[in-house]
Amino acid sequence: MDYSETADRISRKFSQKGESVDRQKIAGKLRRLVDEFGVPPSEAERSVTNELAKEFNLPSMGTGGGSGAKEQRKIAGVAPGEWVSVEGKVVALSAPASPAIAQSGVLADDSGAIRFVVWTKSNAPKMESGSWYRIESAVVDEYKGVPSLKVHSGTTVKELETTEPLIPVPVPIRDLRPGIGSVRAKVIQEWDTTHDHMLQSGLLGDETGTIKFVIWKEPGKEMLTTGAVYSIFYAQVDEFNGRLSLNLNSATVMQEEGDIGTMSGGETTIRGAVVHIAPGSGIIKRCPVPGCNRALSRQNYCPIHEIQPNFVYDLRIKGWLDNGEKAFNILLRRDVVESLTGITLDAAKEIAENNPLGMDEVFLRMREMVLGRYLVCRGREIDNRLLVNTCERLAFSSGEHAALLNRAGGAP
Amino acid sequence: MSNGTRDMDRREGGFEREPARRVFAAELRECRYQFKEGDDEKSPTFVLLPTGERSNRIFLVGTLTEKQRQGEQNIFYRGRVVDPTGTFYIMAGSYQPEAMQQLAKIEPPVFVAVIGKPNLYQKPDGAYTVSVRVESITVIDRETRDLWILDTAAQTLDRIDAFAMGTAPDVVKAREQYPTMDPAVFRKMAYDALAQVRM
Repeated sequence: MDYSETADRISRKFSQKGESVDRQKIAGKLRRLVDEFGVPPSEAERSVTNELAKEFNLPSMGTGGGSGAKEQRKIAGVAPGEWVSVEGKVVALSAPASPAIAQSGVLADDSGAIRFVVWTKSNAPKMESGSWYRIESAVVDEYKGVPSLKVHSGTTVKELETTEPLIPVPVPIRDLRPGIGSVRAKVIQEWDTTHDHMLQSGLLGDETGTIKFVIWKEPGKEMLTTGAVYSIFYAQVDEFNGRLSLNLNSATVMQEEGDIGTMSGGETTIRGAVVHIAPGSGIIKRCPVPGCNRALSRQNYCPIHEIQPNFVYDLRIKGWLDNGEKAFNILLRRDVVESLTGITLDAAKEIAENNPLGMDEVFLRMREMVLGRYLVCRGREIDNRLLVNTCERLAFSSGEHAALLNRAGGAP
Repeated sequence: MSNGTRDMDRREGGFEREPARRVFAAELRECRYQFKEGDDEKSPTFVLLPTGERSNRIFLVGTLTEKQRQGEQNIFYRGRVVDPTGTFYIMAGSYQPEAMQQLAKIEPPVFVAVIGKPNLYQKPDGAYTVSVRVESITVIDRETRDLWILDTAAQTLDRIDAFAMGTAPDVVKAREQYPTMDPAVFRKMAYDALAQVRM
């Protein structure tokens, strides 16, 4: 294929602006894009023009992408696969995950917010958090169902002189979709962290539902307080296995006064037999660092705070409660364990300290007392796990016995 | 160790544990059909109960009447657990070290609760046996035994009702595999078991 015609066209454009370009070089670039990388010729022309426009600092030269790229759009209305131009405020910046990425963060306008990524190769000006920008001819793509705005070499980024305040509107938890979302919610529970890099995880709730949240460790990130209400602006809503979760690292989090209702009626009652007691039940050691509370290993090692000789003892039972139709993963807290087994934390400490088997002795004694027994557990079911608030041994009912005798003997 | 535990916890989130079915010894003894769901090596194996329900795991309660230590190099324990309707044959080997240690400590006769996996075997003479590979065994009291009889009777009657409806896939399978199965036999079995519980 002959690229001289296209190269001429590009070179003419630039000479009109008083810049001189090397036609040979342009033709070479076009050939490379088309022959080596299979880029369609029109796209190659656009790409080379943009690259030169950037080089000569002539943003208006960019030919833009497909139709509509010049047209101003609202962030809420953009869809994956589109070339768009938007105006918005950078409401969050996060650490780039790779050297190929210059910046990443969240861009918002009054209609909504979207994640953005600035490729290092784009040579785009560095954006500041809190400033407004016009981003022309960016591409919207999709990763794991979440739309993201890509600033590439053909995109122009201009800072705007806007200081317009932007107040995000929180949405009910039930209405959250993968992407970016703002909520006003209460921390219902704090969970054990499952990863070394995790600062905190737990459950947020409002009147319409509940959602898991995660905060990854980063300088300046603080943990939330259980029972407190927060306004959370521009959090990442991720989807995994059909379940949503909120990543708060990009979010602006503000604690609110007062209390809000959370979805009630979430309490489940399960009657069944305890068919398994999991390791990590009995007496455990927890990290004493304020707000941490993670279970320590046998060597008093906290995944975050390392060796903690001044650990705090706690009781818990993890296991499976089975009603013959379905098995429920159950977690009993200290007070529930104490009332069920009659072994108080102090008694458990004494057993652990005065026994050759140590903490294992508490595990074994509790297992002997609970395994194979019928229990009635009440609590909240989250992520296939019942967090038990109250629990008691099932009592024999003569009425039930009589009814069953009738049922078995009644029909022919 | 702590890492392993945490990994397990994470898996437990989406993991569906096979429920432990409640079945009397007299019904388990009648099982003749075992099947696998899926072709994977780790796919669970199910014993089909005559009343029309698959069981990969069972929960049984009764009196441990005897136990025997067997094997020279590979030690394993066998035991008999008796409920009001018959006898369960249980075993725990070196692949179930926890269960074997638990069983080793228990002295019959005593009420026990057993969680385990049923397996169907055919002996050289053509006779079938179902033996339960123990996952865990604990000593329990009479009240738990009575609760189990109520629970097992109720779930057996539920299965018989579902069998009469005849639509569930496992019921259809049971009708194929156990053409002579008579629900009245199992209804009477449940009644007799209930009658043995003190009023």
